[in-house]
Amino acid sequence: MKDMFIESLKNLFKKPATHQYPFEPSPPPPNYRGNIVYKKELCIFCTKCELVCPPGAIRFTYNEDGSREFHYNPYLCIYCGECVRACPKAGCLIQVEEMAPPATEEEIPNWDEIEKEAEESKKRWLKARKKPQAKKS
Amino acid sequence: MGNRITIPFGSQHVALPEPIRFVFQTENEKIVDVEVDVGYVHRGIEKACMTKFKYTQVGYVVARVCGLCAISHTLGYVTAVERLMEIEVPKKALYLRLLVSELDRVHSHLLAMGHLAEVAGYENLFMHTFRDRELVMELQELVTGNRIQFDYATVGGVNRDLSLEVERELREKLKDLQERCLWLKDVFENDYTIKLRWKGIGVITPEMARELNVVGPPARASGLATDARNEFNYLPFKEVGYKLITMKDGDIYARNMVRAEETLNSLEMIFNLLDGMPEGDIKVPVKGLPEGEAFVRIEAPRGELFYYLKGSKKLILDRLRIKVPTFSNIPVMKELFIGMDYADVPATVISFDPCLSCTAR
Repeated sequence: MKDMFIESLKNLFKKPATHQYPFEPSPPPPNYRGNIVYKKELCIFCTKCELVCPPGAIRFTYNEDGSREFHYNPYLCIYCGECVRACPKAGCLIQVEEMAPPATEEEIPNWDEIEKEAEESKKRWLKARKKPQAKKS
Repeated sequence: MGNRITIPFGSQHVALPEPIRFVFQTENEKIVDVEVDVGYVHRGIEKACMTKFKYTQVGYVVARVCGLCAISHTLGYVTAVERLMEIEVPKKALYLRLLVSELDRVHSHLLAMGHLAEVAGYENLFMHTFRDRELVMELQELVTGNRIQFDYATVGGVNRDLSLEVERELREKLKDLQERCLWLKDVFENDYTIKLRWKGIGVITPEMARELNVVGPPARASGLATDARNEFNYLPFKEVGYKLITMKDGDIYARNMVRAEETLNSLEMIFNLLDGMPEGDIKVPVKGLPEGEAFVRIEAPRGELFYYLKGSKKLILDRLRIKVPTFSNIPVMKELFIGMDYADVPATVISFDPCLSCTAR
């Protein structure tokens, strides 16, 4: 009984084990596997990251002039970092210690359309590449 | 005898967070018959691995089979591919894999122990256990970058190295954790209420365990010396002080004590491997495509996990088969319930630590 009383008095002044989360920030620790950041100026468009990504969160669309555009869906990404390891250009893709932003309706990329566009534009691009060869033969 | 009453237990139940359904036929509180249904969360992961994903990506897909033994599934797959392609993994990578796999075991066992305490009506102990589990999750985040879905092992090695700072922090926090685990083990071992509630309930005899092929802590609690860590050399367990822990009683209390002892043994192994961490690469480049068949047995926290795969020099595998520990333990659960009081069912089910997301995939 005495022990219990002392223990409960001690507990009154102890620091709680829980965090008051929305009021107290909980910063991600170093080495946290966070969001993927892409730098266009360094990219050589080898599409290795697209090939290696397990959930298909990175897609490239092909423009008519042959240039490629990078698309990334942070809400589909599993943050495994395979794309960063596959990238031959150091610093082009980096995994930062930041979480993906909370999804709002404006921010969510229209991923279904991007995937469709990526596949169709790739087909168009491959077709356009084959044409000159066919003429030669 | 009294009236026969049908009592459904699951697929949603306060004592059982997993979607498994037992239909009990009872007569005056005694169970006379039981039916089991496990197919509630089928996600078609095996089929997806055989049709959609390349063999290098499958490791990340099978990690999503289960949140609690994520590293075990990845390890199973990755080891099988390495055996198939005859890749020699650097020793440092093996040690790092062992570190994460043992941390995962500690966290899974603490979850099982805490959950069992909750089902016994000991909410306070449940809170204590889960607070200490939080410490392990922090360590996992420190090493792998994430709390549960590790994505740590890959074909040919591991994805991250252990820096000196992380190692120092790991050692400090592990000491704290070891003290907490010793205290927890003491409570689970000596508490009067727990003994009263768990001793002699849900007894699996060694014969029953052998006949029905029980795996994992339930088998070891019945005195059956089965442990894939001891029998199958997928990681250098014996170099870092692995001990096979068995008990004789085979009741809920013994199963819990096996888990508590294994937690301490795992922590001891982590200290040893940190002391003897070899130098070298953490990854080797992989060339070629898998051809042939391979199977691997891994000791997941819940028991033996079996991976079979078949490849024919293609990017996509021909066949991937996963046999999970809970699936092996369901027959004995069914056998055990007959003749038992209905009031003991929740504690017995939880003492097996069932994982249905593994079983139905």
